[in-house]
Parts: sequence; structure tokens; C-alpha cells
Amino acid sequence: MNLKPTIGIETHIELNTNTKMFCRCKVVDTEEPNISLCPTCIGLPGALPVPNEKAIRYITLLALATGCAITKKGMFHRKNYFYPDLPKNYQISQFDLPVGENGKLEIVIDNEKDYVEIERVHMEEDTGKSSHEGTGRIDSATSTSLDFNRSGVPLVEIVTKPVIQSSKVAVAYIEELRQLAIDLDISEGKLEKGNLRFDANISVAPSKSDELGTKVEIKNMNSLRSLERAIDYEIKRQSSAIENGESIIQETRHWDESKETTTSMRSKEGSADYRYFSDPDLPNMVLSDKFVNQVKESLPSLPHENRNKLVETGLDLSDSNVLSKSEKWILELYFKVYDNTKDSKATFNWITGELQGQMRKLEIKSLPEWFSPNFLSDIIQLIDANKISFTSGKVILEELIQKDTTPDDVAKKLNLYQENDESAISKIVNEVIKNNQDIVERIKNGEDKLVGFMVGQIIKSSGGSINPGIAKEILSKELNL
Amino acid sequence: MELLNLSIRELNKLFVNKKAKPSELYSEIFDRSASSEAALHAHLSLFEEINLEKAKNSDERFSNSENVGLLDGIPLAIKDNINIKNEKTTCSSKMLSNFISPYNATVISKLDTEQAIYTGKTNLDEFAMGSSTENSAFGLTRNPWNTDYVPGGSSGGSAASVASRSSIAALGSDTGGSIRQPASFCGLVGFKPTYGTVSRYGLVAFASSLDQIGPISKSVDDARIIYSSISGHDSLDSTSINDEQIDLPFDKNATIGIVKELMEDGISEESKKEVDKVIDILKQKEYNIKEVSLPLIKLSISIYYLIAPAECSANLARFDGVRYGLRVDGKTSYEMMENTRAEGFGDEVKRRILLGTYALSAGYYDEYYGKALRARKKMVDEFSSIFKECDYLISPTTPTEAFKAGEKTSNPLEMYMSDLCTIPANLAGLPAISIPTGLSSNNLPLGVQIMSKPLTDNSLLNFSEMLEKELDFNRTPEGWSK
Repeated sequence: MNLKPTIGIETHIELNTNTKMFCRCKVVDTEEPNISLCPTCIGLPGALPVPNEKAIRYITLLALATGCAITKKGMFHRKNYFYPDLPKNYQISQFDLPVGENGKLEIVIDNEKDYVEIERVHMEEDTGKSSHEGTGRIDSATSTSLDFNRSGVPLVEIVTKPVIQSSKVAVAYIEELRQLAIDLDISEGKLEKGNLRFDANISVAPSKSDELGTKVEIKNMNSLRSLERAIDYEIKRQSSAIENGESIIQETRHWDESKETTTSMRSKEGSADYRYFSDPDLPNMVLSDKFVNQVKESLPSLPHENRNKLVETGLDLSDSNVLSKSEKWILELYFKVYDNTKDSKATFNWITGELQGQMRKLEIKSLPEWFSPNFLSDIIQLIDANKISFTSGKVILEELIQKDTTPDDVAKKLNLYQENDESAISKIVNEVIKNNQDIVERIKNGEDKLVGFMVGQIIKSSGGSINPGIAKEILSKELNL
Repeated sequence: MELLNLSIRELNKLFVNKKAKPSELYSEIFDRSASSEAALHAHLSLFEEINLEKAKNSDERFSNSENVGLLDGIPLAIKDNINIKNEKTTCSSKMLSNFISPYNATVISKLDTEQAIYTGKTNLDEFAMGSSTENSAFGLTRNPWNTDYVPGGSSGGSAASVASRSSIAALGSDTGGSIRQPASFCGLVGFKPTYGTVSRYGLVAFASSLDQIGPISKSVDDARIIYSSISGHDSLDSTSINDEQIDLPFDKNATIGIVKELMEDGISEESKKEVDKVIDILKQKEYNIKEVSLPLIKLSISIYYLIAPAECSANLARFDGVRYGLRVDGKTSYEMMENTRAEGFGDEVKRRILLGTYALSAGYYDEYYGKALRARKKMVDEFSSIFKECDYLISPTTPTEAFKAGEKTSNPLEMYMSDLCTIPANLAGLPAISIPTGLSSNNLPLGVQIMSKPLTDNSLLNFSEMLEKELDFNRTPEGWSK
């Protein structure tokens, strides 16, 4: 049987606002539990929510950046379910009137553009954190510790339509979404910190069928690697079940990182009826044209726009995609260096290869203040003009990262400029020939491999300033090879 | 000197003129509340020591002429669903019997700046759900006019406290009549302000779109003084509105509507007679009076008993034994939450949570909650068009006088009907007041309700004060002290 998988992804992104969504408690990044709390975010009797305008602005930014239609008169809804780390036992969220609907996100797969359709972008407040001691599961834990620092932190939830067909696309989508959030400066986007969390809805159906199969929700995927593996596993599990004539149960499954399998979560909230209704503590979320226009004007250059600009410099889509997902200073450096060199490939290779490689080796996260983008374009141009060797370029770069100097100073100090004057080179070549008559004799007798030795001698005599290619060329001419 | 029967303005005048001291008033109040407690059980807590100190500080301010306003040194009772920092807020529920609030409700912060004194917290129907103050986990409150009868509810403790002169005035909360109905049953003024003019921050929510804090007092002027102190925009309450009052005429240029649907079946002859009495006064004073019809009012109890329980089912979900309040252990977290809620809530609260949960359930939402919202919207429209032709609407406050304790406890529907006249103002967010008009043949108080359009609270109070003067009710209950 030919089967096709269909995947939809729900992503929660923690917004990097200073304060929480409905109270003015600071958003804190600490292991110390329960230090940023107030009556509202721990659900004391009588406490009320007051929305954080900045968070709504951020969500609107994301909705606009994904091409969503903005709901002018939106609403806050209560999503009702019981869980010990949910203080009010309802979550303030949005239901039928989210901030944005019907958008799409461009991604790059195998050097080609693709799109993932977005169903909705909406606000949600985060819950606290539970640690279930003993088994790690609420139903069987011996005790549960609760930390409400995260309770009420603003989240934006992005739900795709069921349009993703492979784990590869799913990973590319999350990478793109993460970059978008970072470029919009609405989140740190750190997966390891839980700034970005995702669940996948997966179903498998016969290829020719117009209907989707029974959907299974997968939770607890904490990295891109686990997203990829969980999807692949689940597609295989469902496919073989279908091939064996078994039916798929609609359920929530838990990705087990260590066993690399999904297991059924039989917890109660799985089958909940959330009984959404408009939160009577909050007026409608009215996004005026003026507000939306202001947010629109504040949109920065988005990842797909950056990619287009990079492609215009001559990079292929795949390299452009890599660069569009780099830190902002790298992207800026690329454009500055490219403006000087007009050599996209060399600029790309020097930045993503040599520069980042050396920084990793030296364990530094950002370039020193003295490091001008012109240093890199100077190096590229010197190599291009045969004034220094590629190896010398690397040496110069390493010096520049560590010392406040210039490429020219380093090249001079370390004598890295190559001799390009042919008569001067000929002089050295002839000198070496004179001093190595025996070798020359053997070369003439057919021992070709000794040419390399001679080239080495020439470079040595020049103090490393002669380009090996040119040395070989002149040597061959002089020896009539 | 007997200070207990005086109005806030009269008391303030005595203090300013140094003819009496707040500490003298306070000791009279405390003696009274201590002695009334056994007969009435109006209070769940009384704060003696801290108040004596507060009253003495107030003495000091008056003697140095540094007093801050009309409420300086005035003892007020507070319904026990309003948070006072470092005091218990039990909501008359076992669930919160040990809950001490770490913060002040906005109304309390406001009264604090006026240097008012809180005598204690008053009894109520559990989480303000009820019309008789019989649904209290800590025992029922009795009507000071006749202790066989209920004081009304849910702010029955506040009403009994003021009526027995155990406090000068009190704060209540009104979701479907919980200020006005007990005020009427106890011969007092009860005022539910326009929704949004008084912050709900720190009021334990029953039904957020309906709840409103307001005063219960002996006179309209006392209600006005308290209202002007507790109202105003609050950045901690997103439903709080800028209190920009609209002026209505309150002299004979005003048009008065008599609500036809609230003068029909289900309303006792005695209650109707009180309205007639008011009509006669207004006729004599040459007001324009007409009968008006608001057909949807007949649906108000149905609408209310879908919307209020739906909201309460979510509002009361936070009481789970996890963070504060009662905790009854179980083998798992869920079992603990279930056990806690099974034991912590009384029957009426459970009934409403179930009703509300059902009304919001998948498949039933549109038929019940959704329909109730649409009907509520229509009712608001109906009121808006009536207020184009009338300034004030008059009706009985309650279908009958106070009923006997135990009389309706086994029949919730009959109990719900006692809020027929008061619920519409909550559904439409209107200001509404009950003022005492006379006594029934059983010697129990009766009152009339006056409603006006949103943000005309001050005019409504002025109009009511005019009527109050003409009615000259001015009686003190003695039944409780016998």
C-alpha cells in the first residue's frame, strides 16, 4: 500500500518581554523557584488580569511577518483544564478570534523554496513548571514540586495547517520560525531553554486518499533532532499498523528520548473538553488600523528577505539559507565584505569557514572591536591578486582576531607578501638551480617528483614570499621542462 | 451619647466639632457587634484590637484638625469576599477557611486612604451564591427585624450588621441582587453601581461580568459617600471604566417608568403596594410617570442562571488545594484536587459549578451559554431604548418580604425567583438602588428598586434621596435584641 504522512505543527514561542502577560511580575531566567510571583500569576482569589501591550505588539509582529490576516476585534478566551501548575485551572488564550490567521512561511529545502501554510497565530499565557518526583509522570509521581516563575509568561502559539509531509520539512519549518522570532527580536529562540516548544500532529493515509488519517499528537520533543526522529518513528509506527490492518487511535503520545519511541500518554487532560469561553475579566482585544500600521512599519528585514538579498549577490539558495540563519553580525559582515570584494563565494567561505572556525577554536563569541569588515575584504583581495597565499590569509586572519593591527602590518611583519616580479623571481630560481645542480640533473633524467623539492627550496630561499604556482612555472621555463 | 443611629455626615460633624471621638463611636460599635453576634451571626470575624488603635489615631487627627475626610474614623463592615491584607477572606466556604489574603482589594486601599475603620468581615452565602445567607459554611445569619427570618443574601451579614447598628455602613457585592435584596429585607439602602465604576480587584469573583461592589447603609447619603470613595478607574481591573458621570434631571422634569413585567404575577401584593406608594408621591410632585414594558425581563432568571454559573465554573476552578486553602490529600495530584473540591464546596456552589460546566460543554455551548449571551445582548438593547424615553425605572426590589429561615432551602428554584427584580440590572450593567419604603403586615421591611442608565449613578442617588426624604422610613429594628 502506498501511504503518505501529513503533519501539522503547533509551536509555542516564549516572548522576551520584561514582564508577564497579565501582571507586572518580571520574566526571570533562573533556577531559583517561585521568586517572581504576585496574586494574579498564582491565581489568588480576587486577582485580575491586565494585558501586556508589548506582548500583543510582538504577536502582531509575528502574525504580520507570516503574512497573516489580522483580526481587528479579537478576544481573550479561557481554556479550562485542571493541572497543578496551572494556577487558575484555566489558561487565558484565544479561540475563534486569534490575532492572525491564514499566513505562510517560506522555507528552503534542497536549494529550493517551499512554503508552509500557517493556520493561526495567537496569544497564550504560559503555565508554571511541574517536577514530578519519582516517575516523572503526574499520575504516578510520589510528589510534585511546582515553580510558578514561568506562570503567566506571554507565549505566541503558531499553528500550521496539516500540510507538512516529512520530518525534513518540519525541521526546516522550525528553523525558519525560530530565525523569524530572533530577527523580529520577540524571543531569544533558545530551544534548550524552552523558549521554543513544539508538538506535532501526525497522520498517515493512503496516497490516493483525499481524507487525512487519524491524527496522533506527539509531545515532549525538546530538540530538532528529537522532532526529526519522533516524526520518522511515528510515521513508521502508523504505516506499519495500517499495513497490518490495525486502526490508529486518536491520542496523545509522548516521545521517549532515551528509547527513541513514542508511548501513549494516558493522562486525563488528553481527552479534555476545554470549554472555551470569552474571558469576562478582559475586554475585546481591539487592534486598531493605527496600531497595526505602526507594527507593520517596525518590521525589520525578515529571513526570507535576507535570503533574497543574498541570492542577489550570487550565492545559491542553500548558502543563502545558511547565512540567513546566522547571527545578525555575521549577516551584516557578509554584506560589508561583499560590497568590497564582489566575490560572494569567497566572502561566504571566508566568513562561514575560516572566520567562524577560528573563532570557535579560540572560543570567542564576538569579534573584537578593532576588527573591521575591511580586514576580511583586504585578505580576500590580496589572495585574489596573488599578493599573499591562501595559507598566509589564514595566518593574517588569526592575528587580526587576537591583536589590534591591520592585514598589511601582519603581512609585512611576518613577511607574507609574495614576490610577483618575474625577474626577481627568476633571480632566486636561478640561484637555487645553481646550488642544486645534482638535483637538476636528476630531474632532467626523469625524476619528476623532485620538482616539488625544488619549488620548496625556492620558496624557502624567498622567505616564503613566492607563490608556489609561479615558482613552479618559472622553474619549468628555466629548465626547459 | 447614642452615636450608632447617626449618619456618616452627622458623625463627622460631631468629630470635627470635637463633640464626640471616633474611639467612642468605635467602642459603642464594638459593644453592639459583640452583643448582636449571638442573636444574628452577622460577622465571621471582628477586629477589635487593631481598630482601637486606628480609632485612637483618628481621635488624634480630629483633635489636631488633620482629619482626612468624611470616612475618617467611621467603622465599616466588609463582606468576607473582599480581601483585606493580612486578614482572612473565607467567602463563607470551608475551602478558604484558613486563607489569609496577602493583598488589599482596591476598594480597601481606597478606604484606607480615607482612614475608614473595618469592624470585621461579614457572613455571606458561600462565594456569594445564594439569596438568604443560609449557604454559609459557618452558620446562617438572621434578620435583625425578626430572627426567624433570613436577612437576604448573599450580602446578608453586611445588611444584618448595619441594620443592628453593629457597623455604620458596610460593603457588599452584588451579582444578581446580593446588595439590594438583603438591604430591602433589612430596611436599608443598598446600592449596586454601574458595572465597571468600582474596581473588582480583590473581590473574590463569582461571575465576573456581573459582580459589582457597593454599599449597604442606613441612608442614601451614606451610600453616596462610600460610593464616591470606592469608585474610579483602576489600572488593576481591565473592566474598570472611566467614571464620567452623565447628569439626569431628578426634579419633576424627570420621566419615570414603571416596569410592567415586574408588577405582574410572582410579585406579592404588598411589594406592589410599595411601588404604588412611591408612584403617589411622584404624582403629587408632578413627575411624568408611565408604564413601560421590557418583555425580555421575564427571561432574566434563565439568562442569569446560564451566564453566572458558566463564569463561576471557571472562576472557582482555582480552588484546588494546590497553592492555598483547604487541601484534602489523595493518592495522586488529581485525586487530591478532586477530594479537596468535594469536601471544600457546599451544595449550592457545586450545583452552580455543575450547571456552568454543562452549559459550556462541547455540543451544548451554542444552545445554552451562547444563546444566553445573545439574549443578554438583546436585553441590553431593550434597556437602551427604554432609557431613551425614561430617566428612572421603578419596581419592587423583591417579590416578597423576607422569608423564614429554612423556608426555601430545599427548593433552589424558588430561592432563585427571589432575585427576579434585581437580576436585570446586573445583566445590563445598570446602576440600581433599593431604598426602604415601609413595613409589611408581618412587620418586615419592604423596599423599591430604582434603576437608571449606565454612568448616571450620581443622579440616581440624588433622585433616591429625594424619595427617601418623602418616604421618611427611618426605623430601627428591635426584633433581634428581644
